[in-house]
Amino acid sequence: MDIKSRDHQSVVVFDIDGEITISTMPQPTLHQVIKDELERGKRDILLDLKKVDFIDSFGIGELLASYVSTQNLGGKLKLCSVSKKLFLLFQITRLVTVLEIYEDCDRALKSFGTP
Amino acid sequence: MDDGRLHAFLRRLGIDVRPDESRAASFLFLHFFLITLTFSIVKTVKESLQIGVNERWWGGFDLGTAVLIGFAVAINTRLLNRLPRRKYSSLTLGFSAGCLVLFWYAFDLYHRRIYAFPSLLVFVQSHLNLFIFAFSFWSDIFIAMTITQFWIAVNDIFHPHQAKRLVGFLVTGGLLGGIGGSALAWVLPKLAAPHHLLLVCPAVLLLMIAVVGLVHGEGERLREGAEAAPRPAGSGVGFLESLRTVGGDRYLRILAGVLGSAVLVGQLINFQFKFVVKAQGWDDATRTSSLAMFFSGVLVVSTLFHLLATGRVLKRFGIRVALLVAPAVLVLGTAPVFFLTIVTAAAVPTLAGLLWAFLLRGTDKLFDTTMSQSVRELLYLPIPAEIKYKAKVLIDMSVNKFALGFGAVLYWVLYRALSFAMRTPEERVRVLGLFVVAFALLWMGLIWIIHEHYLEKVKADLALKWQDGHKVVAANVDIGLTRRIVDTIQSRERSATLYVMNLYGLVQKEKLTAELMEAIGLKGEEIKARSMDALLGIDGETSFQGIEDIITDKDFDSAVREVMALPVYKDLMDKQIGDLVARKSASEVARMEAAKALGLMEPTPAVIRELGRLLRDPSLEVLNYALNSVAVHLRKEHVPLIVDLLGNPMSRQLAQDTLAAYGPRVEDVLKKRLQDRGAPPDVRRAIPEVLARFGNQKAADALVAELEAGDELLEAHLIEALYKVRSNHPQLRFKKRRIAAAALYLARRHAADYLDAVEAGAGREPGPERQAAIDLRTKLLFDLLTLVAPAEDVVKAYQNILRGTKKSVDYSLELLDNILGADLKELLFPLIESLPPEERCRRLRRSLRGRRPR
Repeated sequence: MDIKSRDHQSVVVFDIDGEITISTMPQPTLHQVIKDELERGKRDILLDLKKVDFIDSFGIGELLASYVSTQNLGGKLKLCSVSKKLFLLFQITRLVTVLEIYEDCDRALKSFGTP
Repeated sequence: MDDGRLHAFLRRLGIDVRPDESRAASFLFLHFFLITLTFSIVKTVKESLQIGVNERWWGGFDLGTAVLIGFAVAINTRLLNRLPRRKYSSLTLGFSAGCLVLFWYAFDLYHRRIYAFPSLLVFVQSHLNLFIFAFSFWSDIFIAMTITQFWIAVNDIFHPHQAKRLVGFLVTGGLLGGIGGSALAWVLPKLAAPHHLLLVCPAVLLLMIAVVGLVHGEGERLREGAEAAPRPAGSGVGFLESLRTVGGDRYLRILAGVLGSAVLVGQLINFQFKFVVKAQGWDDATRTSSLAMFFSGVLVVSTLFHLLATGRVLKRFGIRVALLVAPAVLVLGTAPVFFLTIVTAAAVPTLAGLLWAFLLRGTDKLFDTTMSQSVRELLYLPIPAEIKYKAKVLIDMSVNKFALGFGAVLYWVLYRALSFAMRTPEERVRVLGLFVVAFALLWMGLIWIIHEHYLEKVKADLALKWQDGHKVVAANVDIGLTRRIVDTIQSRERSATLYVMNLYGLVQKEKLTAELMEAIGLKGEEIKARSMDALLGIDGETSFQGIEDIITDKDFDSAVREVMALPVYKDLMDKQIGDLVARKSASEVARMEAAKALGLMEPTPAVIRELGRLLRDPSLEVLNYALNSVAVHLRKEHVPLIVDLLGNPMSRQLAQDTLAAYGPRVEDVLKKRLQDRGAPPDVRRAIPEVLARFGNQKAADALVAELEAGDELLEAHLIEALYKVRSNHPQLRFKKRRIAAAALYLARRHAADYLDAVEAGAGREPGPERQAAIDLRTKLLFDLLTLVAPAEDVVKAYQNILRGTKKSVDYSLELLDNILGADLKELLFPLIESLPPEERCRRLRRSLRGRRPR
């Protein structure tokens, strides 16, 4: 799993490549890199999951921990380009009620108020 | 003078004003100065005229005003509704100037006995008391109206916390105006007849018209871009509607009660004062001059008191204490009349009596014109604009006079029932003193109640900007089930055995719903199991169909349980799993299956032993299954191993969940490891989260004790955990003194860090990265404050300061001002208020008093 970040105005976009699982998670973990951005003062986080096929229970924990850290600082964590399979998983587990998920990353970026 | 220079000038005078407020504050200062200049002159003339007539008329003046005030308020309200506010103020001031000239003419006619208009002279001479009443009535209306107009303008322009900072400055303007007016009233009667004083006022009123224009112009400028403009004049509100508004709102009713009882106490003290002054037997000029001297003396003392005390008391002790001081002091000041002979001895006036009367009345006026007035006006600020203007006009103009009317009736009843005419002034003063004490106590009770309501009003304007992330997740997602489902789906690709065991785990938890089976594609699925080949070492593949029917069958569950309970099964599995775990060549999948199977089996010593071995497995996936199985058996032998796993970021979350599943019985182990400075820092940092999940008093106390130990390594984690405890378990008690000390220490370090950052940047605000770190520490400080003040209030204030409008930021500061201790506020406010860097640094340095913590 590879995590790359880029700034799009006030939004930090994380492009994730590969499965988000305990065995593929790099160090620092996804949650830690998001926390680092929050500590830099960033509050709008977008996870581009275009290249993510699967998320295991550890990955789900990382997503939720990232959501909590961002939310508690008054920020927003959103997901975009989620595959149908992952979206189904989020539906079964009711994660869709917590995580803001967009089919299209441009729309997700616009939802942060960026042109 | 431009804004910058004016601001610098005001700052040099020690006024806590922001650059954009400087002009508005200065114009309002001048406005209030002119109002009280006029008011002091008018009041001195009025009181002197009243004392000059028989004392049985005294109550009549107030009662008449109370009865007629309704008409005046109705007309005033109608004008206020129909005219733009600036025009309305100018017209009423012009009208008042005209009235003053007419009153002057009538009194001059009487005084000089001008025979040019004999019938008019006869009329004035025979109806002098009527003229004095008319003048008293007019002056009461004039004073109430101009002061109400002034405070409405303040309400229009400033928010509560702004007003709280500036009210001291504005009231100083009023006091200086009062001193100026009283000084004129003291000196002029020595040169000419007292009524000539009235001619000074129209000139001042014309000047005031110009100032009102400036005030409103500045108000309009400040409101440009603000979130909500005040209610425009002209959006019709009648007297009855104002009455209904006040009657229908508990807060406004209590506010009216506070004002009414204060007025009543003041009036009764005034009656006592008048008895003592009348007993001196002075002529008109001496009396007017003496009263003016007294009023100017009171105003000088009031100004000094105001400059030295009002702001400090308000800042240090808050609104409630600032309001309670006046009635408490008046009760104490009244007490001597019950024990000592101080007023007269057999109707012979004594200096002690005069001194006491001057002191008591002076004290009442002192508080009324300084602290009580300032704070009472603050009580209007959190009321929504559309209600405020209806209520303020009614309360300030009518309630005031109704209270006076009530006092007048009470005086009249006492005068008649107790034959005041036959009694000595001392006896009259003593009887009135009893009522002063009674109404002062009522006043204090109402203050106590209104403060509670005041905070509710302030809070009503604040909404949460976002929900707590933990709570959102807890309310919407079953994390345990989510993990099971994801593990189940994942295991399908890895091992049929693991998959079936995971499915069986879901069945046991009654979570394998039809919807879930459909979603994970279980229905009608054919599963190819290798007969637990890894575990049992059997080759071959078997196909199973219709697995959903089998696995959800109750008989199947019973059969599995029966098999697992068989001694022979246990022996076999103990041996098989023992061999597998010991075998270095065993595949990761096999170890995962073993770890899962151990969770389904009965906790024999071998099962516990093998689980312990699997907790040391290098594979994170095996660890994942092992921890899940450990959470089933919850054996204490595994606790130290799980605690060690807290040090690994990959296993930390699950290790925390597993320890949380143990519950409070592992508290002592965790507490010991938390306190162990030799333990790995990551392990220690992960423990507070687990203790927070226990959510009991012992865990909370352990967290507080460690916070007090001052280990910065753990500080953020301890505070986050304590915040979580507070948020999820509000019933737990914290020793506020200890938390406040920790919060103060954190705030001091925070302040020192800010100063270091600014000094490192040659006086500029810290850069974005440093600012981000400061913001995170501010968040921590607020998290900690939820333990010493109502948690919801602190959270609301924090969120609104961060994301609110200018108004909600101001309301948040006001809320914090009322719920936090003075030491904390002194450090926190400069950090969170919008201030220029040099001002922020100056305040922080003052708060730290030169002692910067390391």
